[in-house]
Amino acid sequence: MSVYLHSAGTVLPGPPIDIASLAEKFDLPSVWGQWVESFIDNPYRHYSVDLDSGKLRFSLADLATTAGERALAAAGAAPADVDLLVMGTSSPDMLMPATVNVVADRLGIDDVATYQLQSGCTGAVQALDVARRLLGSGEHRTALVIGADSCAKHLDLSVDVRSLPPDQQVNGVLFGDGAGAAVLGVERGAHGVELLRTRVRCVGRGREPGQTLNWFGGADRHADRPAAVEDYKAVQDAVPPLAVQTLDEMLDALNWDRGEVDYVLPPQLSGRMTDEIHARLDVPDAQEVSCVRETGNTGNALPFFQLERLLPRMIAGDRAVGVAIESSKWIKAGYALEKVDA
Amino acid sequence: MTTIDDFLVLVRHEIGLPVGPEHADVPLDQVPGWDSMHLLALLTALERQTGRSISLPDVLEAESLHEIHELAVQS
Repeated sequence: MSVYLHSAGTVLPGPPIDIASLAEKFDLPSVWGQWVESFIDNPYRHYSVDLDSGKLRFSLADLATTAGERALAAAGAAPADVDLLVMGTSSPDMLMPATVNVVADRLGIDDVATYQLQSGCTGAVQALDVARRLLGSGEHRTALVIGADSCAKHLDLSVDVRSLPPDQQVNGVLFGDGAGAAVLGVERGAHGVELLRTRVRCVGRGREPGQTLNWFGGADRHADRPAAVEDYKAVQDAVPPLAVQTLDEMLDALNWDRGEVDYVLPPQLSGRMTDEIHARLDVPDAQEVSCVRETGNTGNALPFFQLERLLPRMIAGDRAVGVAIESSKWIKAGYALEKVDA
Repeated sequence: MTTIDDFLVLVRHEIGLPVGPEHADVPLDQVPGWDSMHLLALLTALERQTGRSISLPDVLEAESLHEIHELAVQS
């Protein structure tokens, strides 16, 4: 059974925060901002926390609910139409209840199958994969798929950033908060864009994680373990070739040549890394659909920002391939779309 | 920090790279463990220590630790 992408909707909390504002907030030297612009090139990010007051303005459920509402409105669908809800996040508000179920309640969705994936940068594709397969089974007709992340638990406004190791400083400027959602269905819908294929592969056997996020409970909350660690060299070295492999595997499975791809949606780590990966994907005739320079790295939400930009641009016959790579335990993921009807 | 030896001490202490005088004039990609993240740590430490701004475009033209040192003491 064919599955179609009906809409995408997104939300970014608060105003865009630029590098100069971060440097001023954390009393960092001017050369710090110049380095970040040169080597990271994520000019903006948005935070759920108000940087001046330190107050949390939006929970993850708030962001995910807004993104879900926007995707439903864009699809012309009502909450009652949704019979499957899938969400990916690395940063749930709580371990229980799962945020997806809080979002279902907020949206007025009830008595449906819900799934939350504990996931990183491939979470959106994993969620699309689960939804596509369940819709394809014929048991469901309309799915709301959500990806959302928040740095709020990690954004310590009292920290002396200059005393942090550079890799932790860089982690702080890479990521921002945001949520995205898509409505999928078995009907063709207004766009006529078919989600032809989704592919997810964990390739972490025997490999150390490139990114680690800890969680703490009552017994170990004071444990001397860092909340977040990134092996930036491993990420820098491994992500581009994994992205190329993923694109090759997708094209092989679809029997498409590189020249037949009209749009490519590359992984969105940072402006600079995305440029490098896009060049290595070697699809010069395809238009790139990227967002990270405007949104910051919003983790599980990123592909929805790309899809939101892609959908109005596609015309009948257009083909698009997206790639996402997760550097925690190394997951490669891809998805392919084709506009089959005007 | 005025001499190249002082500068190499700063590199050892601030970014933890085991550099000695023999690494002062070799190309940066031959300095053991050197990468752009170390440049960030070094530049912020230099600016903090000297109280003067350092131009990143100039530093990116530098080919050795010695040349970075010269920029730091000139600026």
